[in-house]
Amino acid sequence: MTKKTLEIYSVELSGTKDIQQTDERNGKEKYRGLKNCFEPRKNHHKEELRKELDLDDHKLSIKELEKKYGTNIITGLSSTQVAELLARNGPNALTPPKETPEIIKFLKQMVGGFSILLWIGAILCWIAYGIQYSMNTSSSLDNVYLGCVLALVVILTGIFAYYQEAKSTNIMATFNKMIPQQALVIRDSEKKTIPAEQLVVGDIVEIRGGDRIPADVRLLSVQGCKVDNSSLTGESEPQPRSSEFTHDSPLETKNIGFYSTTCLEGTATGMVINTGDRTIIGQIASLASGVGNEKTPIAIEIQHFVHIVAGVAVSIGILFFIIAVSLKYQVLDSIIFLIGIIVANVPEGLLATVTVTLSLTAKRMAKKNCLVKNLEAVETLGSTSIICSDKTGTLTQNRMTVAHLWFDNQIFIADTSEDHSNQVFDQSSGTWASLSKIITLCNRAEFSPGQESVPIMKRVVVGDASETALLKFSEVILGDVMEIRKRNHKVAEIPFNSTNKFQLSIHKTDDPNDQRFLLVMKGAPERILEKCSTIMVNGQEQPLDKNTAKAFHTAYMELGGLGERVLGFCHLYLPADEFPETYTFDVDAMNFPTSNLCFVGLLSMIDPPRSTVPDAVTKCRSAGIKVIMVTGDHPITAKAIAKSVGIISANSETVEDIAKRLHIAVEQVNKRDAKAAVVTGMELKDMSPEQLDELLTNYSEIVFARTSPQQKLIIVEGCQRQNAVVAVTGDGVNDSPALKKADIGIAMGIAGSDAAKNAADMILLDDNFASIVTGVEEGRLIFDNLKKTIAYTLTKNIAELCPFLIYIIVGLPLPIGTITILFIDLGTDIIPSIALAYEKAESDIMNRKPRHKKKDRLVNQQLAIYSYLHIGLMQAVGAFVVYFTVYAQEGFKPSILINIRVEWEDSNVNDLEDSYGQQWTWYQRKYLEWMGYTAFFVGIMVQQIADLIIRKTRRNSIFQQGLFRNKVIWVGIASQIIIALILSYGLGSVTALSFTMLRPQYWFVAVPFAILIWVYDEVRKLFIRLYPGSWWDKNMYY
Amino acid sequence: MVIQKEKKSCGQVVEEWKEFVWNPRTHQFMGRTGTSWAFILLFYLVFYGFLTAMFTLTMWVMLQTVSDHTPKYQDRLATPGLMIRPKTENLDVVVNVSDSESWDQHVQKLNKFLEPYNDSIQAQKNDVCRPGRYYEQPDNGVLNYPKRACQFNRTQLGDCSGIGDPTHYGYSTGQPCVFIKMNRVINFYAGANQSMNVTCVGKRDEDAENLGNFVMFPANGNIDLMYFPYYGKKFHVNYTQPLVAVKFLNVTPNVEVNVECRVNAANIATDDERDKFAGRVAFKLRVNKT
Repeated sequence: MTKKTLEIYSVELSGTKDIQQTDERNGKEKYRGLKNCFEPRKNHHKEELRKELDLDDHKLSIKELEKKYGTNIITGLSSTQVAELLARNGPNALTPPKETPEIIKFLKQMVGGFSILLWIGAILCWIAYGIQYSMNTSSSLDNVYLGCVLALVVILTGIFAYYQEAKSTNIMATFNKMIPQQALVIRDSEKKTIPAEQLVVGDIVEIRGGDRIPADVRLLSVQGCKVDNSSLTGESEPQPRSSEFTHDSPLETKNIGFYSTTCLEGTATGMVINTGDRTIIGQIASLASGVGNEKTPIAIEIQHFVHIVAGVAVSIGILFFIIAVSLKYQVLDSIIFLIGIIVANVPEGLLATVTVTLSLTAKRMAKKNCLVKNLEAVETLGSTSIICSDKTGTLTQNRMTVAHLWFDNQIFIADTSEDHSNQVFDQSSGTWASLSKIITLCNRAEFSPGQESVPIMKRVVVGDASETALLKFSEVILGDVMEIRKRNHKVAEIPFNSTNKFQLSIHKTDDPNDQRFLLVMKGAPERILEKCSTIMVNGQEQPLDKNTAKAFHTAYMELGGLGERVLGFCHLYLPADEFPETYTFDVDAMNFPTSNLCFVGLLSMIDPPRSTVPDAVTKCRSAGIKVIMVTGDHPITAKAIAKSVGIISANSETVEDIAKRLHIAVEQVNKRDAKAAVVTGMELKDMSPEQLDELLTNYSEIVFARTSPQQKLIIVEGCQRQNAVVAVTGDGVNDSPALKKADIGIAMGIAGSDAAKNAADMILLDDNFASIVTGVEEGRLIFDNLKKTIAYTLTKNIAELCPFLIYIIVGLPLPIGTITILFIDLGTDIIPSIALAYEKAESDIMNRKPRHKKKDRLVNQQLAIYSYLHIGLMQAVGAFVVYFTVYAQEGFKPSILINIRVEWEDSNVNDLEDSYGQQWTWYQRKYLEWMGYTAFFVGIMVQQIADLIIRKTRRNSIFQQGLFRNKVIWVGIASQIIIALILSYGLGSVTALSFTMLRPQYWFVAVPFAILIWVYDEVRKLFIRLYPGSWWDKNMYY
Repeated sequence: MVIQKEKKSCGQVVEEWKEFVWNPRTHQFMGRTGTSWAFILLFYLVFYGFLTAMFTLTMWVMLQTVSDHTPKYQDRLATPGLMIRPKTENLDVVVNVSDSESWDQHVQKLNKFLEPYNDSIQAQKNDVCRPGRYYEQPDNGVLNYPKRACQFNRTQLGDCSGIGDPTHYGYSTGQPCVFIKMNRVINFYAGANQSMNVTCVGKRDEDAENLGNFVMFPANGNIDLMYFPYYGKKFHVNYTQPLVAVKFLNVTPNVEVNVECRVNAANIATDDERDKFAGRVAFKLRVNKT
């Protein structure tokens, strides 16, 4: 572990000491995992430790607090104090993550792996020109042009990539627009509403249900306040708050409210104890910037590719330098040849092609709700081998939903799909009628007004999660709940509180003949059952005997075992004689019976998995991707969800399951028998890294429950130690370090916090896990297709290089000029190589294992050899035939061309004799040379068409793949031909471009070679398919 | 976690290389076993053998389309170029009268160049043709019928013929001869049936002044039509192209003079902007006298 990593954990050091103490006496050990990683580093961070240990405000009494912060809980701070504190501590806002200056971002685009290659090429060109110039002031400017074009390519591609990324950043920016937060604060004895940014330490703030807590607050007085700490800790349950000091750990104690968490209900008054970056959340957020960004797999691949190209270029260059010197060329000339060869190896168009290809895929992914922030991350998902997924919101719908009902001694399953449309349980029973009435009436949740046109499941509800679930459930089944409540007028109510653990209300019934009041109650099942003496079965009340009680317990346990939150329901019709219509109910005096009620049923709720998730998990699994669930939630719930989405498959068991099945102790179970494991944060913190590695390798299905944010980071690192490419999903601020650490961090677009989105490489616009699968698919496809694109582009490099080599050795007139080569690389070949990005997958890419980071390279030896030495050489030969044809038919037969170079290029030789005794002026020869360039160009172009077609597949026959399925390929071919025609016939008269008209028949000379290429490649693929694993397969499959 | 790059020690690197070159466990040499190497070599032998054969075949087929005697196309040869003799590096004829070495090589070259024009050789090999008209020799149904060339006798070059000339084409006296020849182009009917001649001028006004007088051989710089058309080196074995010699009589010494000669013929354009040698030739003349 390097020093850098240590810093990652330095946050929350404040908690360390407290946590250690906690561990000894308390079972709640959610944060203990932290201890492990802090211990060895204490010495490194003594200073920070001291600085942060001062969060002990929760232990102080109000008096001490007042003294400490120089405030008064009645009058608040004075404005002068505020001004002073504000000046000293700065505004109460998180420092936005250090924005890389735009210019740096821009420049970064221009120095990546590929760009470096082009820059070096450009500089070499200019050096070559410098040498030429020093020898002969009138030397050709070709090298200068080439250098400029190379530089221009880098700059333009850089601009393009920058623009692409800026565009997705802009899409993100729309999320970031938040309404400025307000805070109700007491200052100068007055209540004021001020922007939360202006809060200072010592301010007295009031918080109401629905507010976001504006800073870290020590609560002073609390009325029924519950907070949602999920963005900090990942707990989805609302946490009750009080003003008492309940826990040594500031994270656990109930009298502290954390910045950016939400107050769900109730009210509270508190004193601001930390603002801005000094808040807990601010510290976590600043962690993310400390985590180094890993190089993306594709960046590594491209670097590898650059190494190969550079290696080839330099070795050919040096080889021919030696040859040139031994052929008695001048050393300076040889150096120019050397540079020329090196530069000729640079695939000028590839940078642009790869960038465009990636951004095309990014666009395609954005359409499927995966917004890619960093172009290179497009491919990363494809090589992902482990996904560490959040539960809440990603795998689940992030809303409580009724999942099961129990009445008439029977468990019914409710539809938990996104729209609840398909409720199939038996609704004819009289018990259901009573139960539905309780569900409807004993419920304080309401729809926000004005949502009639919105589908029920999407309506906004005021109320807590369970009540919302019940409201929506009843609305779907019964229709207008509000109307039913109106008809059954509520006369009294006791809301739920944690001491009673029940909720009760009394209604007039909508039956005009029935004057009795109806008392309905719901709450914790065991509490409800205590209050009942009868139970309703099939609409009839029956005494509650042992058998029925047992049935109740079985059902309760079963539902609880599914990780569901269970509620009991009971009712009582109050006798009309005792409680006449005019009776006044007093909820404080409880002048009504709350025992001997009639038990009606149980209802259990869960945050159900999204309906698309199980399928997506299956797909991931068949794609060889391990899906690991990491959640702050309870292990039972986590396991239940994991089972229902297939993260733990139906037939696999955990060690505990096996123990239970065999009725033996957990220790006796052979650990190898279990495929699945549910690990809690508590267990995790006791594990050494080696044990974690072992866990990760031995179990294919793992659920981490009750984990802290920091443990998420440990898990990610553990996975990365297995050489896995790890994707992490997350939404909370607490996830941002893990998101950044992961090879690809995926943030949620809807639920995600800004910090998470900032740290992520990709954003799921619909928060849906299934979108990741499409991302994986696209990522794998792009990897395959990039391979094809690179193979296609590299091939003609040899065909462009050979002429130069032959020119040096044999002394032919130069077969193809630099500018002509540029027109291939940046002209005819660009659209076709991009078109390969549209190629469909050859086989089911989702059925193959993720590629091995170190073994399955983007550009491997086979690809380079096949492109350079097989197809590339064929192309060179074909193009030479075209070249020789033009020269021979114009008067220079091949034999006379040998070693003609010096005379040919001498502008003072104006009577050079051809094979027929005719004499040529220099310009006439030059023009013929250009014709040769054009011929060679056409030769390459024609064969590149064949190359394009064969590159559609790597293994399958073209006919299996379908010649016409990818229409863009044909657009590419058409563009090649049209550009070539324009260059030859349209611009043939522009001498600077050195293109000439070409007789029509010359366009067809290379066709036999094009066909040969196609046939050869088909044969190659046939043998690969026929003899998998053979010598041929190993050497010829790229 | 930043995975630490395992720094390999030098020894390890060497060890790895050694293993790459020869791996005793797997019997791999440079990453391949012997059989694999054999396969590879065999494969490339066959593959490149086939490729060579394919190349040879297509080249052979292509060469079948080209005749031995006349080129298939003459796209670029519509205008024959002009060239001077003696041929010098930058087309500048420099004569140091006092320094015989400076022009000796010119003289040698000219001697050699003019040798085929010796009257005896001409008489022996070539026909006497009727001047003023093309010497056309149709095949008359006989395939590849050899063609005769017309005589161009060295004596026609008068003072510049160099025969019995103690002044070495005038180079020793500072009155150099420069020979102008028109490029051979097969089946080109130069002059379009009208007489043509070569004229020379100083390029600019001062050049014209410095150039002084000159005489041309044959008179007026005429080129006779009988030397056309040219049938190519296979048919027209002994063809000697007509020459025009220019003897500069009193070039202003020690000055560089830009001379431009062009052929005046109906079907030869001499104003091609790009091709400075189409129907014309420019050269520099400098006679150094002490």
